[in-house]
Amino acid sequence: MKIESRHLAFIGLAVVVVIAMLVGGRPDLTPSADSVRMHEYIASLAPGSVVMVSFDHEASSLPEIGPLAKAFLRHAFSRGVKLVGVSLLAEGTGIGYRLMEETGREYDCEYGKDFVFLGFKPQWVAAIVAMGESISKTYPEDYLGNTYQDIPMLAGVVNYSDVAGVVSIADGSLTTHWMEYGHARYGITVSAFVAAAMVTTYDPYLASGQMHAMVGGLRGAAEYESLIGVGGSGGRAMLAQTVAHLYVIVLIILGNVVYFRSRHTGRK
Amino acid sequence: MDFGTLIAGILTLAIFTFLYRDNPIYRAAESLLIGVSIGYVLVITWTNTLMDLLFHPLFRRGDWPLVIPLLLGAMMFGRFYRRTGWLSRFPMAVLIGSGAGVAIPAMLDARTLRQISATVTPLFAGSAWADVSTIIVLAGVITTLSYFYFSREHRGALGFSSKTGTYFLMLFFGTTFGYTVMSRMSTFIGRVEFLLTDFLRLTG
Amino acid sequence: MRRKFPQLVCGLIGLLLFVVYFSRHPIASSINETVTREYWQIVFAFALLVGVVSFAKINLQGIERGEDRLYRIISLVGLISMPVLALIWGIGTGSPFMWVFDNVQVPMQSTVFALLAFFVASASLRGFRARSGPAFILLLAAMVALISRSDVGDLMSARFSDFAEWIRSNPSMSARRAILIGIGLGSLTTSLRVLLGLERTWLGKESK
Repeated sequence: MKIESRHLAFIGLAVVVVIAMLVGGRPDLTPSADSVRMHEYIASLAPGSVVMVSFDHEASSLPEIGPLAKAFLRHAFSRGVKLVGVSLLAEGTGIGYRLMEETGREYDCEYGKDFVFLGFKPQWVAAIVAMGESISKTYPEDYLGNTYQDIPMLAGVVNYSDVAGVVSIADGSLTTHWMEYGHARYGITVSAFVAAAMVTTYDPYLASGQMHAMVGGLRGAAEYESLIGVGGSGGRAMLAQTVAHLYVIVLIILGNVVYFRSRHTGRK
Repeated sequence: MDFGTLIAGILTLAIFTFLYRDNPIYRAAESLLIGVSIGYVLVITWTNTLMDLLFHPLFRRGDWPLVIPLLLGAMMFGRFYRRTGWLSRFPMAVLIGSGAGVAIPAMLDARTLRQISATVTPLFAGSAWADVSTIIVLAGVITTLSYFYFSREHRGALGFSSKTGTYFLMLFFGTTFGYTVMSRMSTFIGRVEFLLTDFLRLTG
Repeated sequence: MRRKFPQLVCGLIGLLLFVVYFSRHPIASSINETVTREYWQIVFAFALLVGVVSFAKINLQGIERGEDRLYRIISLVGLISMPVLALIWGIGTGSPFMWVFDNVQVPMQSTVFALLAFFVASASLRGFRARSGPAFILLLAAMVALISRSDVGDLMSARFSDFAEWIRSNPSMSARRAILIGIGLGSLTTSLRVLLGLERTWLGKESK
């Protein structure tokens, strides 16, 4: 068994994260302006208003997206907001339905009355544009096979003009399409809970007002959990997240020290 | 521990074996993942799209104009044979044409004009610090764009501008790297949480 | 006929959707909805099916040739098992189909993604060097982002987190915005070329 320098870096990361998870702890967080803005937006929605939640992610990012989605769903359900779930990616379907069902149960919300999951439609741009004209024609049946017209909470929901806003839960660039097609063409308010890796991609849209609010990454989930006062896996993981960040910083510094020393001694 | 958690734990560890090096256990798990993922997309596409948008309306309600997209879809399979390959160009034409048609106004309006408009905002509208930020954003956009302008040699004023743009780009890439590290670590932490809590039951 | 006619269909459909964008008339809405739903989405769904068939075909050919036979068989078993499970027990909560999704697909897929954490750590050690001024800025920005999004940022000072947010929302955002404008103009030009028939690579080569 041959151990190389990269293996040592791997082992170090695994050790620090496992120890941090075993130690646990829930640090006090100062919520960022982004999280506060999103919280204010959801809190401002009138009880009974309909919000579309789009699960635009794959199974791969569930450890990061799950806490974000749960934090949002808990806030929305606790406020009495009615949710219409959709998915622009096939894999978001199973996850989205389960997350809505589990979280809805925590707040005694009933399927069909307080929330509904319409499922997946392929080609994201086509799905967004088609729903802008008619949601019922785009989704004649929900994820469970119920006819659109038979679902009580969807009575009167024709297109985006009957929806207060869309919240995209994304690990990639699909939220872009909600802004460029849903917002630009049909004027729907777009907000997003996104994987941290996508935060800088969406910054220009947030700055231009095309995106109303954005919460990003596990840290964002932890901040949102503290804002709504409900604990979740975002907060639980923050110590491990901090330790992992510090570990990467130490590796960067270590790599540079070695680099400059080797350059100084002329060995490189 | 339920059987599902046991399987999920074993498969998680099988994938992690790749960290040592590529090996048969990892490859077997990876092959299973690929097959199952494609199978999942197949089922969801069939049940969530083809059934309720095509087959139910066509065969249950007699919505006969849907025969055209059905035929177009079937023509897509022409790709598998050399002699019928050209047939798939028609459904491809629908996909490419639709995408291009809706993209023109979206790209012009939402991606270009609104971003330009958000860059050029009035000064003295808020605090002095807000004005500084506005000027920095304007300078950042112009200099970064000049970095990507390759029709002239980057010398003189253009050279200075493109070099400044490099620094803005580095700030962007650096920040993005930081956030990407956060994302990847979050995913790993999620898996560690599963292994410690559900699989090994070491934490509550 | 085999190239010109599809090209014409492509141009006409594109032009139609481009024109209806500017109208809220019920007829325009109806055309928009019909083309996107009945044509674009359904044909796209068939394209996904073609991908599945292609995957099965390539693996079957590989098995015949004896290349990675075991792994290909495992892939095909995975592929076939999902529709079979869905066909027999459905796709609702608690179904075997969802059991496989929850206990096989989700854990493995997120673990594959989690592997990247290790490679990012390794890259930080071996490749993230301040060799030049721009590289130093890149390194510094990364460290500021990493600290600000951890508990250390909270412990240091509120001003540090504000500074990190400012970097992200202003200089960093401006570079991303410039890239976005560039992509926007590029996509616009490509779309126009497609509609005008100048961009024909999607037609592929003429079969003999």
